[in-house]
Amino acid sequence: MPKDERYDFVIVGGGPNGVTLAAYLAKSGASVCVLEERPEAGGACENTEPIAGVKINPHAIMLYGAPAPGFEQLELWKYGWRIDENEMGDLMADASRGVACSFGMSPLTEKDQLGFAKMAGLLTQPTFTKELLRSVFWCPPHPPEVEVTIDNIPYMQVYKKYQPDVWTEEMLDMDMFDLMDEHLESEPWKVQQAVVAWYSGAAGHWKGVAVPAWACAITLLICGRMRVPRGGMHDYFHAVMRCALAHGAVVRTCCPVDEIILNDGVAVGVRLRDNATVGEKKIWAKKAVISGVDVRQTFNKLVGPSHVDRGLLQRVNDISLKGGSIFNFHFYTRERLEARKPWAGKFLGGGYPQDSREIYYDHVADVDGRKGNPTVPPERALWLSTPYVRFEPTDRQVTRPEGHIMSPVYFLVPPPEYHVDGPDAINKIKDQITQYIIKAMSSGPYENLNSDNIIHVWTNSPYDSEFRNTGLIGGTWCGTRHCRDQWAEKRPVPELARYRTPIDGLYLCNQTSCHPGGLFLQAIPYNLMHILIEDGLVEPGPWWYSSPYYIPQQGKKSAKRPQ
Amino acid sequence: MKTRFEYKNQGMESGYGTIVHPVMPNKLECDVAVIGAGPNGLMTAAYLAKAGLKVVLLERRGEIGGGLATEEVLYPCHYANTHAIYHMMVDYLPMMNDFNFNERGLLWMYPNAQTGMIFKDRRSLLLSRMQDCTYDSILKWSEEDANKFADWIRVINRMMDEILAPGTYVPPIPSLDLVVKTQKTKLGQQFLEMMEKSPYESVTETFKHPKVRALFLYVACMWGLDPTETGAFLFPLMMWISMHKRQCYGGSHKMASLFGKDVVTNGGLILENAEVVKIHTEDGKATGVELFDGTVIKAKAVASTLDPQSTFVRLVGESKITPTLAERCKTWKFDKWSLWTIHIATERPLEYEVVDDARVNEALMNVMGFENEDDVLKFFTGVRAGKLDHIGGHATCETLYDPTLVDIPGHHVSKFQFPAPYDLDGNKDNWEKRKKDIERKVLDLWLSHLKGFSGKDIIAHSSESPVDIERRIPCMVRGAIKHGDYNILQMGYNRPDETCSTTRTPIAGLYVCGASTYPGGMVTGGPAYIASTAIAEDMGAKRWWKTPGFITKYVDTYLRD
Repeated sequence: MPKDERYDFVIVGGGPNGVTLAAYLAKSGASVCVLEERPEAGGACENTEPIAGVKINPHAIMLYGAPAPGFEQLELWKYGWRIDENEMGDLMADASRGVACSFGMSPLTEKDQLGFAKMAGLLTQPTFTKELLRSVFWCPPHPPEVEVTIDNIPYMQVYKKYQPDVWTEEMLDMDMFDLMDEHLESEPWKVQQAVVAWYSGAAGHWKGVAVPAWACAITLLICGRMRVPRGGMHDYFHAVMRCALAHGAVVRTCCPVDEIILNDGVAVGVRLRDNATVGEKKIWAKKAVISGVDVRQTFNKLVGPSHVDRGLLQRVNDISLKGGSIFNFHFYTRERLEARKPWAGKFLGGGYPQDSREIYYDHVADVDGRKGNPTVPPERALWLSTPYVRFEPTDRQVTRPEGHIMSPVYFLVPPPEYHVDGPDAINKIKDQITQYIIKAMSSGPYENLNSDNIIHVWTNSPYDSEFRNTGLIGGTWCGTRHCRDQWAEKRPVPELARYRTPIDGLYLCNQTSCHPGGLFLQAIPYNLMHILIEDGLVEPGPWWYSSPYYIPQQGKKSAKRPQ
Repeated sequence: MKTRFEYKNQGMESGYGTIVHPVMPNKLECDVAVIGAGPNGLMTAAYLAKAGLKVVLLERRGEIGGGLATEEVLYPCHYANTHAIYHMMVDYLPMMNDFNFNERGLLWMYPNAQTGMIFKDRRSLLLSRMQDCTYDSILKWSEEDANKFADWIRVINRMMDEILAPGTYVPPIPSLDLVVKTQKTKLGQQFLEMMEKSPYESVTETFKHPKVRALFLYVACMWGLDPTETGAFLFPLMMWISMHKRQCYGGSHKMASLFGKDVVTNGGLILENAEVVKIHTEDGKATGVELFDGTVIKAKAVASTLDPQSTFVRLVGESKITPTLAERCKTWKFDKWSLWTIHIATERPLEYEVVDDARVNEALMNVMGFENEDDVLKFFTGVRAGKLDHIGGHATCETLYDPTLVDIPGHHVSKFQFPAPYDLDGNKDNWEKRKKDIERKVLDLWLSHLKGFSGKDIIAHSSESPVDIERRIPCMVRGAIKHGDYNILQMGYNRPDETCSTTRTPIAGLYVCGASTYPGGMVTGGPAYIASTAIAEDMGAKRWWKTPGFITKYVDTYLRD
């Protein structure tokens, strides 16, 4: 093994963001090396078969990133990207089934439908849904010298242009409920969207992010047509990774990085941990080191606190993860879990119960660490299910002769670091939480979820997730919460919002620390490409197009890199 | 209340039109379609892609690898190698050099302590990579056997180096020819003599001590040789394997990933969740394949790694092949036994209670449950008859050498495995029925040999029967990890049939290159190597890889007239 290796870019972390960026960079002609700590790249886009013939999706499940420019720019269909249409595709057909509440399905009114269609950009001809979503997620935050105003916020521009009667000055100060109160009618329909947003990493109750939170939830899912890619998110990831490989990127697994090496204040490479398969060697970056690891570990562990300004480090350590971490359940049952009356045939997965925003707020109080363990009675517990109907009919989850899988069921719990009884507190009551959620689900639509019916339950707490995916701080979907103080040009802190760091040659590319966050949107790599182009580090070919709402900045001239 | 959103026609459909992104088309064309992304499929695809051919590699499962599988069986956070774990041909695999694996982070753990056997009285026997260490261990039991071993192992090693290993990568020739050619050297004659005997005869004639016999007989037969059948030409290979196993750091799947990267880097396409349901033929020539979702892939050549029943009867169709071949496929015998495995997670590494040699704790594999060769013989005879009267088998602490298999630092995963029939007491459903009972008996035996371990120390467990093996990988019919029994009628030139054991089949453009083709399974890479050479030659592609010296030497010594 040669002692040194040298690439244009070294990317730490082989999750969706790191590898998508690798695909972009490799396609631009740069030499790239991705270093992944685990034996398998993919981050939270995993699938596994713990029992022969039963597949579960330990983490990510739905396609949120459908509007991503990457599908076109990276030509993912050439690398095996497949997703079939299915009955679930039409969200409006889905919504017309009503919203799951404790009393049954609450129907949507005419105003609910019209209001939603208007907000989602579906009423104009042509529709502007994709434009709206791209403006929210697929555009780098504005440069610090540009004052953010109502006129230059990308999604405000889109509304003003396409649907001026939605556009109001107050929109910017609203929370999601305020926005929905204006356009929609029935309470459960609003609560459902708040719940989905909350489970997707945004929240219905944070002021000032009404549109992003709302878009993050339902609308992204509409674009993905409420589907699971063929083979789950891991196979979607495969298409991206194979695009990167086909363009010459190198992806190394079992290669944990111990240190980002600085030379005269410039990030010049990384040092692998001594248990890496290629040994404790150094991999040099001619142009930049990209950290696909969360910002806290990047500074505290990889760069080392002595190289970072104390004040900045303090604020990085202060980043709020509140908003909920996901506790996953995977139920393998004898009989299929199907909704009983009055939900029968209409409740095909999603949140429950969504009667009123009081239920929602009760849960927020539990989850944001104010109370610790769940205090809400199980009948009022909010959970989210992803049943078989969401999957491609071609993608069989269970090939054993007996049994059915419901994987995953999500339930939000406090992020480990906020739990008053310590980070592993929830792990100590795993069995209780499991019984709690079984009670919650069986008192609602899934009556047949009981000990006679259950063959096996797998559970995974946020604490487990932190072990599995060390870059997934808080065991959340999105890490840093998307409140106004940590969104867009302030995410995770203003100095780092454009993916640059105070360290020359070190960029961030991780969901927990970058705009717009997780969900495998391919958005962080796309946005970061704008910045790398500004800095003269990469020149993509004619296939590249930037966001129309992007405000360029005088590129930061890289310091002369020590060779 | 409207049942469907009525604004749909006002543009939602067209809105979707702009949102929905292009997906892979359902018609593709390529030079070679490879069916099955197990080790052989991956290797074939990698060789041919690098030779400049446009390759599409098709896998039914959600992940490439086939038997090179590392899965989170003890979810969450604990992984295990569900199939291949003891890699045996690494020293010889031409792919290691051809694809430069040593420089690309494929790391092999190759401990000296290889196969231990632990007896009731807490004493042990340990086969090591270094001959003298094995000698020392046998010496504890019998000086005569130890001295016998020292001479015998040199011959075995030479047979492996000079005949069996190189023969793995050369197309087979008819058995009679092979016998004539092998007789050319003294070593060849010794090899043929050994072949005349059954493993039981070989072991008992060589060794006298019951404990030594027990271990050698177990390792001779554990991968599917019948203890009493003669003509076991793989006997020396099995002996060699028992002292030369390696474990892939990062899980066996890592090896699959690397081949997969080679396929993609060289312009190939890999599709998972892409079960092939038909091999198209036209005028006796293979023209492509069809997937379960209707996708059609036109190909100039099709290479199948599946078992012969799947390839010829199910995918090509009985009407397209000769009645003899059809009959051969239908009477194809799958492995006489499969494997039953239990995976456990613990918070510390396993430690065995032994009084004579602490190094058994470092062994890649430890056999237990047998006191003498009769126990072993009875065990295998029972298994062959579909019985499980005696509990015994081999155990491995997988994380001892590969800590990457657990996400929680300090945790360990281990497995206990034994050769097991598919039809237990005449019915495969008995595995499910007797699951708890078997698990308990196995754990009782295992725990009785461990120091300070009780059931409470096992934080998670999961067992898999031969039926489960078939469920994960359906072309391992009846849990056949080698896609077909190792017996004289199904080996060598007869694997899977004399019309196609050289990889080319009676159907032009259709090749077979899985474990059911010569020389067989167990990640030897043989079928893939032979097929890659043949396909490259037939398609006029450049054979960019060089034949390693040990193969050339074998061909020069034995095969040339």
